[in-house]
Amino acid sequence: MKKISIDPITRLEGHGKIEIFLNDAGDVENVYFQVPELRGFEKFCEGRPVEEIPRIVTRVCGV
Amino acid sequence: MAKLKLAIYWAAGCGGCDVAILDTNEGLLKIAEIADIVLWPVATDHKYEEIEKMADGAIDICLINGGVRNSENEHMTKLLRAKSKIVVAMGACAHQGGIPGLANLFTKETVLNRAYRETPSTENPDGILPVQRFSAQEGELIIPEFYNTVLPTAAVVDVDYFMPGCPPAIHQVAAVVDIIAKGDLPPKGAVIGASDKTLCDECTRPKEDRKVKKFYRPHEIIFDNQKCFLDQGIICLGPATRGGCGNRCTVKSNMPCRGCYGPAPKVHDQGTKFLSALASVIDSNDPAEINSIVSQIADPVGTFYRFGLAASYLRRKRSNEKN
Ligand code: SF4
Ligand code: SF4
Repeated sequence: MKKISIDPITRLEGHGKIEIFLNDAGDVENVYFQVPELRGFEKFCEGRPVEEIPRIVTRVCGV
Repeated sequence: MAKLKLAIYWAAGCGGCDVAILDTNEGLLKIAEIADIVLWPVATDHKYEEIEKMADGAIDICLINGGVRNSENEHMTKLLRAKSKIVVAMGACAHQGGIPGLANLFTKETVLNRAYRETPSTENPDGILPVQRFSAQEGELIIPEFYNTVLPTAAVVDVDYFMPGCPPAIHQVAAVVDIIAKGDLPPKGAVIGASDKTLCDECTRPKEDRKVKKFYRPHEIIFDNQKCFLDQGIICLGPATRGGCGNRCTVKSNMPCRGCYGPAPKVHDQGTKFLSALASVIDSNDPAEINSIVSQIADPVGTFYRFGLAASYLRRKRSNEKN
């Protein structure tokens, strides 16, 4: 099966990659969209004072 | 002069540094005048493959924002280092690990569990976690390895210049473009786009005798909008932080500093520098009283090392995991 990779996907915030698999006839068999990143705000916001959260989560996305 | 080849890349960042470049507005015309952009995921469609095919040193200047959180960040940072004559670690994440470096207070396992299994908004009855290699029917899918420890750029490659800020202030981005255009870069290893003073030196809030008997959280005090925060017992990282941001928090937004411009000049570890500043403002010589005053500070590590944990002497919370 032939594979076409679009890496990275662009003009958006963050990291993404698309893998397109083509069958023998050259048609699209399946497409996978992958997000190859995680920073972990879900965890490291724990334990921070509530009044500080707006100054932390603004760094989830600056776009 | 021949046009420069310029790459702008984001590793473990948020895109805010890229937007800081866009926010120079007509400054972008100047960038277009002096440079051809060969990579800039937020704005152009160049692919990694194109970079891999370049000769070593083919890129004149590479601005990398975002630290190293996973194997793709490390690979791209090393690849761009090899292909670039000059590498600038741009923004707090590349410079010091930044906010994502706070994850160094936890382990990889607890971060993954929280994000994919435990958060109230997550539905994952089988408790599936991301795997690096997955065999789909059509072929293998590979994602980067998530590391246990966030690293600043300089921990994985040789960095030529450091440009602090989260994000760097727009006037500083413009100033750095200017010195690049003039070919006027300082000696290797320098901090650019910042000043050589502390934030306190540049802050216009009047400072008096710093004698602090109590540290306050915002809901515990109606503070004076004009006076120095620290004088009033409100934690402000100004004494330990490099200036140059234009006092955008302390003066322009009436918010205490959280240290995004990194350690003050000649300081390596911002948090310990701030501890020593604290020691000099606490108004007591009695150990028991000092202890009780200090214990009023909510979240010391997450405040003194808000942007700099990954680059500090502490680096991370103890863990037996390899990176
Ligand atoms: S330094 Fe701040 S603005 Fe730049 S990528 Fe990191 S979080 Fe975003
Ligand atoms: S501690 Fe903060 S408010 Fe006080 S002078 Fe320094 S930067 Fe300004």
